Formats: sequence, C-alpha cells, structure tokens
Amino acid sequence: MHESARMIAGIAALLLTLLAARPAAAGPMDAPGYAKAFACSACHGLGGASRADTMPVLAGMSPQYFTKAIEDYASGRRPSAEMQPFARMVLELGLDEVAAYFAAQPFAPTPIAVASAAVARGRAAAAPCAACHGAGGQGDPARTIPPLRGQPPGYLANQMLLFKHEARSPGDAQLQKVKELMRGISEATIGDLAAYYSSLR
Amino acid sequence: MSTISRRAFLRTSGLGIGLGALGGCAPALQGDFAPKTGRRVVVVGGGWGGATAAKYVRLADPTIEVILLEPEKQFVSCPLSNLVLSGVRTIGSLTFGYRGLRRHGVRVLHEAATAIEPDARRVRVGDGYLQYDRLIVSPGVEFQVEQIDGLAAAGDRVLHAWKAGPQTVALARQLHAMPAGGVFVLSIPPVAFRCPPGPYERTCQVAWYLKRAKPKAKLIVLDANENIVSKAGLFRAAWKAYPNIDYRASSKVVKVDPGAREVTTDFGDRIRYDVVNVIPPQRAGTIAVQADLVGPDKRWCPVDHVTYESAKHKGVHVVGDATIGLPVPKSGTMANAMGKIAARAVVDLLAGKQPPAMAPVNTCYSWVSDQEAMAIINTYRVAQGKVVQIEARLTPRQSAEYGRHALGWAANIWHDVLG
Repeated sequence: MHESARMIAGIAALLLTLLAARPAAAGPMDAPGYAKAFACSACHGLGGASRADTMPVLAGMSPQYFTKAIEDYASGRRPSAEMQPFARMVLELGLDEVAAYFAAQPFAPTPIAVASAAVARGRAAAAPCAACHGAGGQGDPARTIPPLRGQPPGYLANQMLLFKHEARSPGDAQLQKVKELMRGISEATIGDLAAYYSSLR
Repeated sequence: MSTISRRAFLRTSGLGIGLGALGGCAPALQGDFAPKTGRRVVVVGGGWGGATAAKYVRLADPTIEVILLEPEKQFVSCPLSNLVLSGVRTIGSLTFGYRGLRRHGVRVLHEAATAIEPDARRVRVGDGYLQYDRLIVSPGVEFQVEQIDGLAAAGDRVLHAWKAGPQTVALARQLHAMPAGGVFVLSIPPVAFRCPPGPYERTCQVAWYLKRAKPKAKLIVLDANENIVSKAGLFRAAWKAYPNIDYRASSKVVKVDPGAREVTTDFGDRIRYDVVNVIPPQRAGTIAVQADLVGPDKRWCPVDHVTYESAKHKGVHVVGDATIGLPVPKSGTMANAMGKIAARAVVDLLAGKQPPAMAPVNTCYSWVSDQEAMAIINTYRVAQGKVVQIEARLTPRQSAEYGRHALGWAANIWHDVLG
C-alpha cells in the first residue's frame, strides 16, 4: 500500500516533468507550410477558420480544390482584385505547401447564423445541387468539386450570383451545369440555398 | 481599477512581492515585481502589432510566459473609425477588450512601460521592473505637435482624432454641431504617417456627412503633400460625388490659432474654420525614442526584415507603424503581419533555432461613402534578407461589394489580433 502510493507519486512526478519539458502542443503554427500560409489569417482566420460572412473557410479544404481556386484566381479566370495578387504570391511561395497546410487544419464551420425558415426553403430546393456536391454538401475532392457545408452564407450566395451572371470562370466546361442551374433560379432561392448549405456541419 | 488589475495580475502570477507598491501608499519598490521563473517575453503596447505578437507567441509555445503592457483597458480600432465621424458606425462597435488574449494565457497588465533597459534586459513599469528574455515593442506613433505653431497650446481645442477613441467621438460631435454654412478644415501632414489613405478616406466621410446634413457647408483639405498619398485615382473619382470638397495640395499647415479659428499655411495663406482637424506630423511612440530604438532620422525604428529585431539593440524587436526601412505602409494589416512574424522569430530564437523568412502582405480598404469601399493590396517576398514588394494592386473601382469585403476583413482581423 505504502509502496504503491509512493510509486504512483513517483510516476505522477515523472509525468509532470515530462509534460513540462514537452515541446509546445502541435497547433496551427507547428504545421508544415505555416511560414508560407500565416499571412492568410488576416482575412481568412487563424488556420483558415474564417468568422466573416464574405471570406470562405479554408480550414480543411481539399488540396485539389484549393489548388484549382488559387490557379484560377492567379490567372484571372476567377476575377478578384484582392485575390489575384495573393494567389500569385502563393504560387511563388509554393502552392502545394500552402494547400497542404490548409488541408491539415481541422474544419471549422462558419459561425454566421442564418434564419431557419431560409434553411428549410433551401433544403427543399437543394436536390439539383446534391448531384455533384453530395447529399451533405461535402463535395468531391477527386473531381475538384468543393464542399459547400459550413461555408459562410455571404460567400456562397456571392459565388452563385457570379455563376448566374457569367462573371466567374468563363468557358470552364465543368461549370456549365451549375451556371445553367443558377440562371434558372431566383436570387431569393440563391439566398435560401446559401443559408441551407452554410447551416450543414 | 488599475490597482485591482495589478493585484489580479500578481495573484495569477502567484507572486505577492510587488503588492506593497501597488496601492501607492507603500515605499517605492525598487525590485522586480514579478520575478521571472521560466522564459519570458514582454510586449510593450497592445495595438494591432503588439496584441497580435503576444497572442502568437503563446500559440507557438505556451510554455513561454507572455506579459503585455498596455495602459488602455480597451482596444479601439483605427480602421473603420472614420465612419464614426460620418455617423455610420458607433465607436462602441469598434471597441474590444483584452479577454481573448487572457484566454490564450497572455498576462495583460494595464500599465505603461516607462523605460527599456536593453543591457539589463528589463522594462521599467512604475517604480519596479520586469525582466525579459526577449522584448517586443509595438509603440505606435506619437504626434510632433511642436512642428505646428500653436498646436501644443491649443490642447483639446484642436483635435487630431488619429488614435481612435475619445477624440474621434469629440470630433464627430464638433462636425455634427457645425453651423449649416460652416467650414471644416482638415490638415494632412507630410509623409510618413500612420495609414497613408486614412486622411483621404476621412475627407470622403466628412464630405458624405456634410452633403446630406449640411449641404451649404464646405470641406477644405490642406495637404502638405504634392498629391494624394495613396489610391489617388480612386479618391479623385470618389470625390466627384462631393463638390463640397476643396482639396489644396502642397498646402502645409504651419500655425493654428483656435482663438481666431484660423490656420496658416507655409505660403502664408490664412484659412478661417468653424471646425478644424489637424493630423499632426508623426514619429515612433515616445518609449521607442527614449530607448534609442529610432534611426538617424530620430523618428522611426530600423529593424531586421526577417526577425524585426531592432537594428539598434539586441533582444528588442519592434513591430507596427513605428518601423522604417521596409517598403510597406503603416497599416493595421501590416502591423498584424509583423506581429505574427516577430512572434515566430522570438519563439525560434529562444529555442536556439533560425527563424524562417516570412513575407508580410497588406490589405487596406478605404470607405468612400456609407456603403462603398475600395482597396489596395500589396504582396511581398523576402529576398536576401530584405522585404521586397512583388506588386501593388488597386481594386478597379469603389463598390458596395468591396464594402462587404471590408467588413469581412475587419471581422477576421480583429479576431486574429485579439480573439
């Protein structure tokens, strides 16, 4: 009894020493690529966990889709005055490392709240989207189809409007179907779809 | 409040040694009021650069003790504060506490650092001092009021409103109380100053307000510079909507007389005002000057472009608007980037590692009305140990969409600095 208590105390002391000597727990700053991806957090949140309505969540994004997005922004196929210079900088820094960094971060769904009525209307209208983006809006990395779940509603609605008005990725064959879909629905429905997909976890 | 916060700080430090000096009734304490046990980083200044640095040192290595010295209890965002003048935003919507940093284990002490002793590796705070292993100084800017005749004596009768807070609210009140046919004079100092597009954004916000609320009033902008310092084309385009703006380049204000309500330019022009806003010439915050962190110009702090270590003193890093020598603007986004880079450098140097070269970026939105904004983006690389600009890119126009982006930027960067 006495012996075992002393042994437990000894083990506890050893554990405490080990814990104290242990290097910092692995966090977003220890991941490979951090020194190249760190600057993104000003607009996209720490580790890509955006809290804003207009900036997409990059945390946990598939490297395939991240790569496509950066290449499209850099070339101007996806027009953005803000993202084009940053995308070019990412290409210079090393796209694979930055993509791997965000892919390794735990997914953090948007904290932006949406109205439950809009979510319900969006769910009812979402069947055509599920064909490519999956029933849960999880996307399909192999086909560079992005996940929609948990992205900020403002960002999702904005992208759908860009598709509807042919203001994004002209001539991208993969996007013909989504552009047709968007042309066929109202801006109000686009808002509902954005609310629905942003609410999914 | 100050006493309570210091007691709370010492209690969480597990140290009582400084308590005698805290109430102000005990003999002056000459010692270390929070003796250092492990590795410690002290951060001076809880603005955009300092708050970010303090948080990111803890994120990188929670075994390092981080003490942030910031006299103010609340952080007030300079970005978006021009919208308080136009009445579009409240100052409350730009005001945040330091609770988020405390959650990361940063010890926030609402005290002013009064001196830096780089050789002894300590910072003086009141009658005591704090020992450090590495120091990060984010001193912001101080106003060179002596450069404009009559400005120091004018006191609160002539406002700068160039540090968001009570002066912002006071200037908004003066603007809103101005006579219907009144004249608002805005004086812009010569470069370099905090937030290069800021005075021109302010011009838009004052003009937007006057156009709606006082259509007979006029805004005279006296700019010490030869032209608009930043985003000139976009601001010129925005000002077409505001015929009430009378912009005068190369008009440096050298004298202000609040009794006669008049300013005088270096050409001897005398301009009468109903409300005046003088943004004075600037230099690094006083502690940086006193600690000999400033370069030959005696205004700004030269630093290493990879570690942000002072070119003047080892073990002391400087971030934010107070720095010079990098081809970057004095902006909040830049201070945030420098805070992250300096934090990583400090953590690596304390661990005996070589810090990586990390290139900063800049994003700077300017509001030209209540809804519309535009932006400049700067990207950089680090080449041969120096920060070099890759490109500077402007948005093609102003728009409400860029206004929404500006709000998104603010939400995420405020959280990156303080959350």
